[in-house]
Amino acid sequence: MAERPEDLNLPNAVITRIIKEALPDGVNVSKEARRAISQAASVFVLYATSCANNFAMKAKRKTLNAGDVLAAMEEMEFQRFLEPLRAALAVYQKGQKGKKEVSEQKRREKEKKSGREEEEEERMEEEQENEVEEEEEEEEVEN
Amino acid sequence: MAATVATPVTPTELDSDRCGSEEESRGTEAEDSSQPQTGLPAAVSHSRLSKLPLARIKALMKTDPDVSLASQESVFIIAKATELFVEMIAKDALVYAQQGKRKTLQRKDLDNAIEAIDEFAFLEGTLD
Repeated sequence: MAERPEDLNLPNAVITRIIKEALPDGVNVSKEARRAISQAASVFVLYATSCANNFAMKAKRKTLNAGDVLAAMEEMEFQRFLEPLRAALAVYQKGQKGKKEVSEQKRREKEKKSGREEEEEERMEEEQENEVEEEEEEEEVEN
Repeated sequence: MAATVATPVTPTELDSDRCGSEEESRGTEAEDSSQPQTGLPAAVSHSRLSKLPLARIKALMKTDPDVSLASQESVFIIAKATELFVEMIAKDALVYAQQGKRKTLQRKDLDNAIEAIDEFAFLEGTLD
């Protein structure tokens, strides 16, 4: 069943932290104000999504992309967000690239390792056969 | 080579049968280098960049019936924008608290800010 917008709030602890970090020390925030800000944030997500989606649809794309969101910010008159968002996006993209390289490397190592394991297994099997035939102990050449 | 490894922009499908099955990510979990279609571990590892959990943001976006697919990047940017929005509205509301010589931000300060500031016009009538 689809979740309704009302059911989805952003985590209170995170919202509170963002608020506190934005305000000077010594300032408190009432519970009601916090709740209202959290609600406003959810509305913001929905509004931004809808706006961004319009740009995607205009471009005949089914997938919403970062460019659509940036265009939406401008449309919503949050131009002040554009610079920090572009900067964050650049860092995010670098991180994604790094993760891709890490997982590719892990896969390569895994393939190498399983290749090596197969060799060892074959060698051990041979040696066992020899032992049975000759009843001699052979040194295991493990490397 | 089989392209099973993560690609930078993986469209995350927003179908309703996956709603509610995603975990929250809080930015404290370890990095998972595999990136499945839901993009969930990716969301976890990047929530250091974004304080808000990408899974929750994505779930919110999903509730829009016109939205079919959204790239991971777009979810991230919306999360980041929301963070900036929260900072902005808190600061703008504070002005009204200070006018009232108060050190505690109250609901009415929010209402005042929403009424006075053009960028917040979309919020009118939406809060409880």
